[in-house]
Amino acid sequence: MAHAIKFHPGMSLLEQFAEGCLSADVALAVAAHIDLCPHCQQLHNDITADLASQVLLQPVKADNTDWNAMLSNIVANTDMSQQDKPQAERPQQLIEVSQRQFELPRALRRLGANHGKWLHLGGIATAKLPTGNDHHVSLLYISKDTEVPQHTHLGLEMTLVLAGKIVDENGEYHAGDLLINSPDDTHTPRTMADEDCLCLSVLSAPLHFKKGLTRLLNPLQQFFY
Amino acid sequence: MLKLATASRHDRGHYSLADTSEPMTGTTTTAQPWDEALTFVALKRDQQAYADLFNYFVPRLRAFGMKMFGNEQQALEMVQDTMLNVWKKAALFDASRGCASTWIFTIARNVRFDMLRKKQSRKDDISADDLWLNGEYPEPAADDAAAQWDNQLLTEKLAPHFNQLPPAQREVMEKVYLQEKTHQEVADELAIPLGTVKSRIRLALDRLREALDGARN
Repeated sequence: MAHAIKFHPGMSLLEQFAEGCLSADVALAVAAHIDLCPHCQQLHNDITADLASQVLLQPVKADNTDWNAMLSNIVANTDMSQQDKPQAERPQQLIEVSQRQFELPRALRRLGANHGKWLHLGGIATAKLPTGNDHHVSLLYISKDTEVPQHTHLGLEMTLVLAGKIVDENGEYHAGDLLINSPDDTHTPRTMADEDCLCLSVLSAPLHFKKGLTRLLNPLQQFFY
Repeated sequence: MLKLATASRHDRGHYSLADTSEPMTGTTTTAQPWDEALTFVALKRDQQAYADLFNYFVPRLRAFGMKMFGNEQQALEMVQDTMLNVWKKAALFDASRGCASTWIFTIARNVRFDMLRKKQSRKDDISADDLWLNGEYPEPAADDAAAQWDNQLLTEKLAPHFNQLPPAQREVMEKVYLQEKTHQEVADELAIPLGTVKSRIRLALDRLREALDGARN
């Protein structure tokens, strides 16, 4: 049986997502989680219907704008060629890294098809997704039995497990689990001997490595960011 | 509960489904007149039906746009783009998946999201189309025999924990999961806010998940 997803975005995050008010990069991680999580699909549908009725089914103050020009402009438009292709049929391109292949959730397919070059460091590989510059969005691949050096976050770190399994001091995370770490959290994520892991990583600031020699990695923090 | 006083005042002469004689009752008819109008736009490019939709939704979309953008020009651009999409893409509306107001809201939200991104003039960037599925997620393969077996095992394990939920949570869970009522119906029935229904479900699910994990370890 598929492992039940345990780590979900909170209600307010889902609400802001449904309203379209999250920054695009954070929204992308939430969207990909929703693709993987039937529970949040249901919640998101409900929240959207709620918002819609709040916004569009309440009485509104009458104003005296004349809308007739806009109306006749629109109905004069007879070119109906602009039909959307069903997104579900968006071709699935497998992501290949370290001789492994992965499927991406729907939300990441278009961007994932244009990911940057894989950069390797030890058992870890990272590739940027072509998104805006407020956060840094990348795919993060961690080979079996590999530890990501202990680090804190100068900003917000969101990690969505896309495949495989990763563990840290606080628990075990499987495909679909969404972890959000704030600047106060320190953790040492690692993979187990039997399973590697592909994640989506959204960072609002570089990581900061904490311990012993790994502090030498700090000049390399751009690697993760 | 929402009541649409204006919704029942459509001029039925222009577009009316064969069976409209059924009296409007209670909660179930809340937004159906708009679903019907939108379906007429989709099937017949019915201009009267579109004008009714337009006159009802445009002032509300404008208010939403003003709230989100804080300026008239962008609000109007959003209204115009949204309503143009409603006219052009009406055929994509599927009343079985949700009501017209929700469909129109998601179009407005997406238009607004893409307007904001475009302003920052990035070419290859996250778009509304990446974020929101334009349609429905496929049903999980529940007819699979193995999945059903798993499901039954899970149900058996779940039952004792279900009974230990706090009464308020259990009541909501029973209505939603056993009687298959919508969240809104449960809210109406118990006279509690929709948000409370959702948070009780959320809490109950978390509790059940915890209980199951505890039993497993």
